[in-house]
Amino acid sequence: MVLELQKPRPIWQIMFSTHHTDIGLLYLITSLAFFFMGGALALAMRIELFLPGPQIIADSMTFNRMFTVHGTTLIFLFILPFASAVGNYFVPIMVRYKDMAYPKLNAIAFWMIPPAGALIWLGFADFTWYAQPPYSVISSPAPAADMWIFGLKILGVSSVLGAINFVVTILKCKHPDLPLSKMPLMAWSFLSSQLIIIVAIPTFAAALLMLLTDRMGVSGFFDPAVGGDPIAYSHLFWFTFHPEVYVLVIPAIGMMYEIIPRFSRKPIFSHSSGVFAFIMLSLVSFASWAHHMYATGMSFTEKTVFMIGTLAAVPASAMHVFNFLATMWGGRIKFATPMMWSIGGIALFFSAGAGGVVNSAMPLDFITHDSYWVVGHFHLFVMGTIAFGSFGYAYYMFPYVTGRMYNEKLGQVHFIFSFVGAVLVFFTQHVLGLFGMPRRVFDYPPFPEWIAMNQIITFGAFLLAIGAAIWLGNFVYSMGKGKPADMEDPFELGGKYYYPYQSKTPHHVGY
Amino acid sequence: MRSKIGLLVVFTILVIVPTLDYVFAQEEPGEYLDRRVVIWNLFFRMMVVAFTIGAVVSGTMIWLIIRFRESNPKAKPTKYEETGEW
Repeated sequence: MVLELQKPRPIWQIMFSTHHTDIGLLYLITSLAFFFMGGALALAMRIELFLPGPQIIADSMTFNRMFTVHGTTLIFLFILPFASAVGNYFVPIMVRYKDMAYPKLNAIAFWMIPPAGALIWLGFADFTWYAQPPYSVISSPAPAADMWIFGLKILGVSSVLGAINFVVTILKCKHPDLPLSKMPLMAWSFLSSQLIIIVAIPTFAAALLMLLTDRMGVSGFFDPAVGGDPIAYSHLFWFTFHPEVYVLVIPAIGMMYEIIPRFSRKPIFSHSSGVFAFIMLSLVSFASWAHHMYATGMSFTEKTVFMIGTLAAVPASAMHVFNFLATMWGGRIKFATPMMWSIGGIALFFSAGAGGVVNSAMPLDFITHDSYWVVGHFHLFVMGTIAFGSFGYAYYMFPYVTGRMYNEKLGQVHFIFSFVGAVLVFFTQHVLGLFGMPRRVFDYPPFPEWIAMNQIITFGAFLLAIGAAIWLGNFVYSMGKGKPADMEDPFELGGKYYYPYQSKTPHHVGY
Repeated sequence: MRSKIGLLVVFTILVIVPTLDYVFAQEEPGEYLDRRVVIWNLFFRMMVVAFTIGAVVSGTMIWLIIRFRESNPKAKPTKYEETGEW
């Protein structure tokens, strides 16, 4: 790979490059920048909820804007681009091709992200990351809402272009000597997740257009005042965004598949069961979207179908967990930072999954619907599993990107702060939901239990923030002054790595 | 293998069937259902299942971490380390 920082180049050479590792670097920097921006919003919201009554945020509208942009940023501008960063770096090398199939398309897909991010942040819409109709149609203030819609539209196009590129690279550009059955599981994770994107995203693209024309007053798809149906939007939205959960989680699991065997010093226990579980997850991701909508008056039959569809994800998810555990069994495990993040991610993945099983039972869903339980549940997935896997991989690829090693102790401190913080925040949010606190509220009545739990959550959020600050400091310092990494074996493990510097065409820049 | 499948079937019956039964009961006329009691009962039962499985998996993971860490006195190189093939 490209030792990006050991061999400095003019910034414009990287910016206008079409080389997969350069695009990967751009994705990486952009996604991490948006992580810190979205995280800062989360911290501000947690400070606000530390006590009942207004604290630091002026009014509920501002609060609504903050959680809308927080969610949109972390899902679309942090997690997805981070996965693209990893995929760009490693997938062409894993399939033994010189680059992505369409290098220029790759660059275009990346360069759609900054303007989309700017639209979302400059608009600062207030209608949740779900763009809740009919509010989003009738009274969400312009131009913020319209900027959000355009931003998401651009991000959707970027995702589809990226997905086409990954799928073509893997299926058509893969080395003839490398059968799919031998392809690394991380490449498999990208194949399955990108196929989901291609199938799922167009539905939301249509929904966004309908929402936009509704807002312009030329249609009324989701406006009940003119005969429209907001529930139709829910179906269109969740048909895309329940599979999208798997688009987020599958690459993170793929990253763990790269880290866990490496640090256990033995091959993955069962390659074929990993492949099978990825395919299963991709399929069942489309069988469960309406479990978000049990409370919308669906018939019992519909609810049962989606309950069973939801539960169908359990065996596939469990296969991944057992594959990880069986890989570690009999190994000689080195607990370097990437491995700690992966194991933490597995533990929280299991906890999040257990909560999801409970949630998928219809009667229980009614008592947790729109409560803080839901916030805790999906954050446990998104932060506890996906971000943990991604952070682990960020540490894993750091020496490849920079040619230097990060500070190992600080990496472990980051993990410990984040793990304790995640448990305090997201587990407590589950309990707070059972105590009846609704989600998306700026203020709450001064019930002692609610106050205590909100304070625990805010304390946990500060631990997460401290961990993130340590991470940032560690990476920034180590990029310039870290110990030079042994590029053959930066973690002193032995075995075969997928060395990004083995990229077949280092810097075939297309600027 | 057969016993494992049997065990799976038993668990499925224990968990799924009562759940469906309760929900059907809501739509069948004449059948009384105290939703509050039934829902919380279901919640506690599912939490018991979730926590039991969670405890087994977490316990296994903790044991693996302790037993197979490289600093454990019993740790020895894996057979793959000699060839470097993994």
